[in-house]
Amino acid sequence: MLDATRDAFRLLFSGDPEMWGIIAVSLRVSLTALAVAAPLAVAAGYGLAVGRFHGRRALIVTLQALLSFPTVVVGLVLYLVLSRRGPLGAWQLLFTPEAMILGQIVIALPVLAAFTLAAVQGADPRIRDTALSLGAARMRAACTLLFETRFAIFAAVCQGFGRVISEVGCALMVGGNIAGSTRTITTAIALETSKGDFSQGIALGFVLLVLAVGVNVALAVLQGRGGEP
Amino acid sequence: MSDPLLAVRGLTKGFSDGVALLAIPSLEIAEGVCWIVTGDNGAGKSTLLRVLAGLEPAGADRASFDGRPLDLANYPDSVRREIVYVHQHPYLFARSIAANIRYGLARRGIAGSAQVSRVAAAIAWAGLDRVRDVLPARLSGGEKQRVALARAWAVSPRLLLLDEPTANLDATARVQVLALLRELALAGRTVVVACHDRELIDLPHAEQWHIDGGRFERRR
Repeated sequence: MLDATRDAFRLLFSGDPEMWGIIAVSLRVSLTALAVAAPLAVAAGYGLAVGRFHGRRALIVTLQALLSFPTVVVGLVLYLVLSRRGPLGAWQLLFTPEAMILGQIVIALPVLAAFTLAAVQGADPRIRDTALSLGAARMRAACTLLFETRFAIFAAVCQGFGRVISEVGCALMVGGNIAGSTRTITTAIALETSKGDFSQGIALGFVLLVLAVGVNVALAVLQGRGGEP
Repeated sequence: MSDPLLAVRGLTKGFSDGVALLAIPSLEIAEGVCWIVTGDNGAGKSTLLRVLAGLEPAGADRASFDGRPLDLANYPDSVRREIVYVHQHPYLFARSIAANIRYGLARRGIAGSAQVSRVAAAIAWAGLDRVRDVLPARLSGGEKQRVALARAWAVSPRLLLLDEPTANLDATARVQVLALLRELALAGRTVVVACHDRELIDLPHAEQWHIDGGRFERRR
């Protein structure tokens, strides 16, 4: 174990191209998924928070249920949709980074939307009133409210990033863990550990840990800023 | 005789269990008047102001603003830009005082040098020069109230609605805010103030109205 750990850090700091390529794929897939999911989810979360319509309560309950939806089931459904016999088989997306991005968008959407909903519901009700009263149109008032609660919204994005960067089930199902193409940090750890080669697994695990800790530190800082008067 | 600025017939607003909060057969606010609205806590003063500001829906047989029909449940943006409501505990955006004042001006398409001069005039009017570079989080209650008034003054609304502007202020802050309110009233602005403050109630040329049990009647 000690030898494996020593080799792991050697791999990390030697700039091993295969390992850093895996990290690059992970970051590219997760950050792209977040970039697509975030605007949609923030808009949906805001709409659910301020809207008053039939079925709103049911939608909120469904959203909260989706928070704990197993990522491997997301992967399974997406696999069936993208496979050759599936409705989107002609797109030939299976086992590509794009399929993984799609999967992570589906995983990130409920997380981002639920946390945005909570942030907007917890926001000072005077924000929207003040914006509207100073002549803002409803869309502008919404942007103002989101800006005033930006730390909480960004915390929602951090939560979403944490969820997608560390998921393995969906990435394995629709990505296929192909070296140099769809191998992410989590799928590589699963593969290397199953082969008994722990050095790369430990190195990548360390990177995932740093990313997870980094996200939590950012969250703690943002939550502190958000609490400032 | 010109149309009243805001006229409502049969204004009703109730709780979800059907109990009436407001039941006002007729309400007409002429341009240039100052109304002081009194009433016990929970009588509906704040609710009335929020309804008139278009921030809360209410029912009405007929309503109009400047002669144009008005749906109390859905104010158009054009009407909301003519009315400013200042909350009892004003919310200041997490940006500079100048940016707070600019917000309303920008929504009305006032930009460039006109915006800059208007912001400077509002800061001077409200006596905020000394704290102009202080962030809102560090302002006292009285200073925040003055920023909110400056923000409202800068956009020159046709109707200004002030909810308990001197409540929760210390003696010094109260005096400063009262001075600004007197100026607004004497300048011929159309102002409706909900309050318990004796000095405001006794403002010369101000009409006094009272809410009690949903009813709204003139006292002076």
